[in-house]
Amino acid sequence: MIMNNLVAFPLLIPLLAGLIMAIYRKSIPFQRWFSLFSFSLICIISFYLIQQVSIEGIQILELGGWQAPFGIVLVVDMLSALLLMTTGFIGLTCVLFAFGSIGEEREQFYFYPFFQFLITGVNGSFLTGDLFNLFVCFEVMLISSYVLISLGGNKIQLRESIKYVVINTISSTLFLVGIAYLYAVAGTLNMAHLSVRVAESGQPGILTTVAVLLLIVFSLKSALFLFFWLPGAYSAPPTAIAAIFGALLTKVGIYAIFRTSTLIFYHQLEITHTLLGVMAALTMLFGGIGAVAHWDIRNILAYNVIIGVGFIVSGVAIFTPASLIGATYYFIHDMVMKALLFLLGGTVIRIVGSNKLKEMGGLIRNHTLLGWMFFIAALSLAGVPPLSGFIGKILIIQEGLASGAARAGFYWLAAIGLLSSLMVLYSLMKIFINGFWGETLLAQDMEKGDTKGLLLPCVLLTAAGIIWGVGAEIFYPFVEQAGESMVNPNLYIEAVLREVV
Amino acid sequence: MSWLYLIILIPFLYAVIVPLIFKHIPQIHTGWFVLPIPVLLFMYLAKYVTFVAMDSPFIHSVPWIPSLGINYATYVDGLALIFGLIVTGIGALVILYSIYYLSKEREALGNFYVYLLLFMGAMLGVVFSDNIIVLYMFWELTSISSFLLIAYWYQRKSSRYGAQKALLITIFGGFAMLAGLLMLANITDTFSIREMILRADKTTAHPLFLQSMVLLLLGAFTKSAQFPFHIWLPDAMEAPTPISAYLHSATMVKAGIYLIARFTPIFGGSMEWFWLVSGVGMITLFWGSFSAVKQVDLKAMLAFSTIGQLGMIICLLGLGSAAMYYGPVKEAALCIPAILAALFHLVNHSTFKGCLFMVVGIIDYETGTRDIRRLGGLMGLMPVTFTLAVIGSFSMAGLPPFNGFLSKELFFTGVLNASRLDIFRMETWGMLFPVVAWIASIFTFIYCMVFVFRTFAGDYQPQKLEKINNEPAWGMLLPPAVLASLVILFFFFPSLLAQYLLMPAVASVLPGFVEASLGIGPIEAWHGWTPELIMTIGVVVVGMILFANYHKWSRFYGYIPVWFTLNFAYDSLLVKTEKTFEKITRGYMTGFIRDYLLYIFAFFVVVLAGVILMLNSFAFNPDVNNVSMYEVVLVFVMVVAALMVLLSRHRLVAIISLGIMGYLVAMFFVIFRAPDLALTQLVVETVTTVLFLLCFYFLPDLKNKIGEIGFKAANMAVALGFGLIVTVIALSAQSNRLFETISWFFENSYELAGAKNIVNAILVDFRGFDTMLEILVLCIAGIGVYTLIKLRLDSRKVSSKNR
Repeated sequence: MIMNNLVAFPLLIPLLAGLIMAIYRKSIPFQRWFSLFSFSLICIISFYLIQQVSIEGIQILELGGWQAPFGIVLVVDMLSALLLMTTGFIGLTCVLFAFGSIGEEREQFYFYPFFQFLITGVNGSFLTGDLFNLFVCFEVMLISSYVLISLGGNKIQLRESIKYVVINTISSTLFLVGIAYLYAVAGTLNMAHLSVRVAESGQPGILTTVAVLLLIVFSLKSALFLFFWLPGAYSAPPTAIAAIFGALLTKVGIYAIFRTSTLIFYHQLEITHTLLGVMAALTMLFGGIGAVAHWDIRNILAYNVIIGVGFIVSGVAIFTPASLIGATYYFIHDMVMKALLFLLGGTVIRIVGSNKLKEMGGLIRNHTLLGWMFFIAALSLAGVPPLSGFIGKILIIQEGLASGAARAGFYWLAAIGLLSSLMVLYSLMKIFINGFWGETLLAQDMEKGDTKGLLLPCVLLTAAGIIWGVGAEIFYPFVEQAGESMVNPNLYIEAVLREVV
Repeated sequence: MSWLYLIILIPFLYAVIVPLIFKHIPQIHTGWFVLPIPVLLFMYLAKYVTFVAMDSPFIHSVPWIPSLGINYATYVDGLALIFGLIVTGIGALVILYSIYYLSKEREALGNFYVYLLLFMGAMLGVVFSDNIIVLYMFWELTSISSFLLIAYWYQRKSSRYGAQKALLITIFGGFAMLAGLLMLANITDTFSIREMILRADKTTAHPLFLQSMVLLLLGAFTKSAQFPFHIWLPDAMEAPTPISAYLHSATMVKAGIYLIARFTPIFGGSMEWFWLVSGVGMITLFWGSFSAVKQVDLKAMLAFSTIGQLGMIICLLGLGSAAMYYGPVKEAALCIPAILAALFHLVNHSTFKGCLFMVVGIIDYETGTRDIRRLGGLMGLMPVTFTLAVIGSFSMAGLPPFNGFLSKELFFTGVLNASRLDIFRMETWGMLFPVVAWIASIFTFIYCMVFVFRTFAGDYQPQKLEKINNEPAWGMLLPPAVLASLVILFFFFPSLLAQYLLMPAVASVLPGFVEASLGIGPIEAWHGWTPELIMTIGVVVVGMILFANYHKWSRFYGYIPVWFTLNFAYDSLLVKTEKTFEKITRGYMTGFIRDYLLYIFAFFVVVLAGVILMLNSFAFNPDVNNVSMYEVVLVFVMVVAALMVLLSRHRLVAIISLGIMGYLVAMFFVIFRAPDLALTQLVVETVTTVLFLLCFYFLPDLKNKIGEIGFKAANMAVALGFGLIVTVIALSAQSNRLFETISWFFENSYELAGAKNIVNAILVDFRGFDTMLEILVLCIAGIGVYTLIKLRLDSRKVSSKNR
């Protein structure tokens, strides 16, 4: 197989773009255009990679020419390619939203470079085929997110960022500890090589224990059950940043769970995947409880992020080919819809000047488009067909309800999944009914902020969501391929290790 | 070639351009532009009547997501056609009516007709879809359009309340139904209803038979407002009256009935289905008609009446399903009339109830109230409306010469036949059905009388009315008049209806039974002095007596305490749930990081300890772990230093202890023969300690400002556990080196990379990529610290502007 240099581009583009922009920090128009350029380029290249992967199979790049497992490899399989594409698209929309909302001060203080660095870390995590490099990419992403969350330095931001930083530092330390243990036992950190060796050894108890340790680490990152840091952290920063957090950061943790539990540790499902199932169920329950309990937009949305995490992971926990395809469908849907939801919610807060539902009403009279986009987003997240969430939801629920299959007995997970959909709908409709319906409290000239330039990114995301649902058939071959490479780790292994084992 | 699949989509496509019409042609009522759609659809569907009567159903399938077996398949048979004709027929009349009911100057007609068209398309989709996923999609869409229509006047609090209630209950049912349908799909391995019916035998024997049935019925019962889920329907009356007439009496609430009828071939014949469907139906019939009597709002009265009538139809479907137990043999003949009655009454109910709702709309429109305590004596003012009301109510009461009489008689036949069954324990409980049916019919009779006579007879009280008008415009009278004439027409020519519509539909509910011609007699008004007729006469006599003494016994309703009602239960459930959830969330989301860390570490300890014990994965191999004296000493000193960090009362001591730990780590590097790492570590430690000292100089004293932190046993246990687990796994990992590490490769670094120092080669060549990214991390951190110091936005200014 020939190396594909294109594989490194989704990581290099934002890295270089960020560095260049950091030099010209006073020139805001330049940074804006360059951000758009960078994200468009990521989208185009990811699109091209999707094509390549679908035709030629998994693409790899051995960095520095050192063969796996000795050097670091970047790997693009269909799951990575789809996630890269989605990330590029979401980055584009969030940056568009930032133009009109983030404010000149933040723009001058490296907002756009940090944004690019964040995407560097995210894309790197999706690309890397090496567990230690994954840790490094996490670090790039996290340090950028630390800065972004505190950028502007107001009181709430500082208060919440302390918690965020402490908890993430601890989870990074545990990640490192887990990597060390794994290296001690398996003697390698290349994921494909790990997969081979774990399979060879039959995954004895010690490996399962380390797997669970890593699972806890990724749960901390992805807010799977260990989500306590999330609601505060996601409600502190400005909307454009909160949206990219809600859409991407937890998803990187989920991606790591996908990778490790489908590629490496899949020999003791009754331990690892049952634990995943239990954690997913608890996540959905507590997320749902939190979403229903609150009466302010930011908290409701933050808890909805948590519910989504639980639902995606249920697909991995059930671990059948169809449930993995469903989880992939839902994964990408959730990224797009969470970005949309945060942007819409942020716009509402901007208009009203308040976060509390009891202080708003009747917005739909003057903001019809905004209202209906919110309505569509809410229905999508509840999994109402033909909007984006339904294919994933139906596949996961159906597999959960299946009996007689190898992985039977997930009725409870399916039931909680459906219950959580109801809670999602209730909590989001609460925003719609109280915020958009009712007596119009604010005349148009009394509004605290305008929506100039903010609706375009929302429209783009809404359209993407609808296409993802209605056009599910168009994407099916790709999603199926992503599912296939998860079900059949050999595809990944053969691509990465070539002949060498 | 059938174009039906496109026809169903027309309402959706048209809904897109309706807002444009509303915006650009404001001088003409938008309804006129919408009206042709249902009329044309009705005419198109009517074309199918003859085909379906000849028993040649149509199927047409367009691939949507064929990879997952989700196809947009339309299927026309008798059952679907009845619903299709009702949806388009009543739809046309309702739109005509709405043109005169809703003002084009004041109302947001664009929204109204968009929702209405969405609903119409969705409802057609529900009844014509063969694929369960598509069916589910349209099913949810009917709930959503109903939600939007109930809250059409969204400024009103009661509208929003009603809309939310309807949405929650119907979507809950929808989710349950989805689960049931997916179970069925798993069992039969298909998404097509027709194929499911063909493989019904697989279902019956399956362990999930009962579960899927109950879940499916939850969907049907919530949608069709069956007890105890009926509570959303009265609150849905906040919708404009044309909507109440259309969605909440004639069509949407019958989707549940459709579902039950459609799945009778799969579930029918089992005892659970029989009792669940007929039992819930009977309870609802009783409760609906019993509650209707006490209502003072005409629309609420009609809502409860609808609940009761829906219950009656569902009860009949349940009783008729027993036919599936026998199969197409002679014994089944007892059950078939029930199915026929159900379908017949379904049609009849749509006609007379639609008519009555429109009458209420007229009364409301002309007098400004629907409260029967304020109405009375309207007969003289509105003779036409009065006539329509009489036709509608008397039909509902089951009097001749109206179609309600025929279906009520058939209903009695159905329950009487059922009481003679000797299966499903009917020998014991069978008599309940005729008795309850009879009592419920008496209540039905009473509220019909209340409806007519309290409104149109009695004293005219103009001082209590908001406005006084005479008959409305012809456009408001025509639609109910059409329905009223159908009420009479169906009475005189029932067999026409039966032949072309009802029997094909019976054939789809009970496949294979109609061909067996089990002697289903024609529907006739007069069939001698049968028990049914005697029951009807009894209803009229007792009903008359009770109506005459209404004021004496109606006080009884006042004795039902508020807390005993289902509405109260729903409201308090909602409020309590939210309160409890808030309590739970506040309980653990304290906002303190020390709590969050406690949860995280506790989870870590519990889960990993569990896994280690369960898998017995602890291993300690002293051969591998040849620990030297130096290491033991170093570890001991490190533990002491760590404790000092925690226990010291001065920052200086804590910082220095921390520094000691760092230097000891460097010592480990020395022991493991990595001098360059040791040097690096020493430099790093020195610099950080100095920096710490520099910063902490400005901080307050630990002891005075922060004070003592109390001893907490739980924290201690978690902390010790955490340390223990990490150590145990480390030892086990060390003792379980299953494979040789890949590091042999790097030992050759001089040949491979031209580097004499293996560590350097790894850092800058083999894993140079890691290093590059770590440099990036440093770079970001540097700029980050700069921004943190430099950029301080005023939080008040930020919250309003830069969000």
